[in-house]
Amino acid sequence: MGVFAGAMTVRRYRVEGEVPEDFRDLFMASLQEHAFREPKNPAPGEEHVGWCLIQNLLDLDFSERDKWLFNHYLTAALRVDKRALPAKLFKAHLEKRVAAWLAENGRQRAPAAVKAEIKQALELEMLAKTLPRVATYEFCWNIVDGWVAFHATGEGPNDLFRKLFRQTFGCVLTPCSPLDLLVEEPALLEGMEMAGISDYRPRGEGARA
Amino acid sequence: MSGRKDEPKEGKAAHPHLTAEFFVWLWFAADREGGTFNLDGIGVVDMWIEDRLSFRVVDEDKARVALSGEDTASSAEARAALASGKVVRDLQLHLRREEREYSVTLRGVHLDLCGLKLPAHASEGEDGLLYERMFLYEEAYSIVTALYRTFARERTSAAWHAETLPQIRAWVQRGEAALPPEDDPDAPQAARPAPGGGAPTSENEAEDDVGYGEDERDELGELSGDDEVETF
Repeated sequence: MGVFAGAMTVRRYRVEGEVPEDFRDLFMASLQEHAFREPKNPAPGEEHVGWCLIQNLLDLDFSERDKWLFNHYLTAALRVDKRALPAKLFKAHLEKRVAAWLAENGRQRAPAAVKAEIKQALELEMLAKTLPRVATYEFCWNIVDGWVAFHATGEGPNDLFRKLFRQTFGCVLTPCSPLDLLVEEPALLEGMEMAGISDYRPRGEGARA
Repeated sequence: MSGRKDEPKEGKAAHPHLTAEFFVWLWFAADREGGTFNLDGIGVVDMWIEDRLSFRVVDEDKARVALSGEDTASSAEARAALASGKVVRDLQLHLRREEREYSVTLRGVHLDLCGLKLPAHASEGEDGLLYERMFLYEEAYSIVTALYRTFARERTSAAWHAETLPQIRAWVQRGEAALPPEDDPDAPQAARPAPGGGAPTSENEAEDDVGYGEDERDELGELSGDDEVETF
């Protein structure tokens, strides 16, 4: 939700870096390269990220330009998959497996190496049956004016977004600060940068600057 | 590809206290100006505080008190939160320019626009829809920008300490004055904050769904769950 429908929850970025003349072809290739791919050997708790089309998170093909480039607006979504095992169920299965090994080998305790081996095998087995938790976060890049509206404000998704954006497009994203809104008025900007804290409390000591 | 933390590159230092002061100024100025502003480069805009406000303690980002419901901005609880030294963490605005109306919650040092509701729009095709929605988003952002510039001019003027700040203190005081002294047994109970001091009143309890991200929902969940609500 956001770019094409619904309410918008947006963090705005300034784009630092040159956009090449032939960006249409370059960005298509780069989006294809960094599109989301299903991991072959997922590990529990590991996040896998890549781009998908906004229209459907299963659409990972950027070869049709009119699906993601609208005049000077470039749109896509960051897809983040994470597989996690249900902890209690995993623990219960692990205890059963270890108990079976003890019975099979006539031992009172299982060596640490054996436990680790059983645990690893069980993880792989259960992960293969577990669906990932999938999240998508849309963005819209105004290439002419040099800003990006990223449709999430949590620090985690924003960290992942900035990194993948730089890898894909070669441009650095800088979060817009309110003071950036004053860059056209240097005197005003300087005054704000030097402003101290105002104390609004009725019985306060007063402004400290 | 596996995700890893990426260090954000900041623009101008964000100065969180100025964002918090901007929020209070918006709230105060909406009262002072009667809700109508003539903004440079924008023209006449109506602006008022909608039904949701949250407060945090200085040096913390997590919300400590969230108020929602009718007339939140004029409630005794909201003014009392300011009087106790809490700072505004986020606030919900209603903006109107010409016939176009927006609802948005401003949050955090980057002035994130949260739950921005756009005016009705009905373009055909993805292209038209995107252009129209981006136009509306830009208009809402430009109004917030113009409001911040207006605040900056007042904040850096000599009148800030001489006039505005005393006016804001008096405005906060009026809210505080609505609360009866705690040792006055005859004081009308209805005027007191809800049990727990700053806890939302029953009609103010419901959290609006304004399109918060997962992280924000978690934070508000913490607020209504395990966290103590400080007494004002």
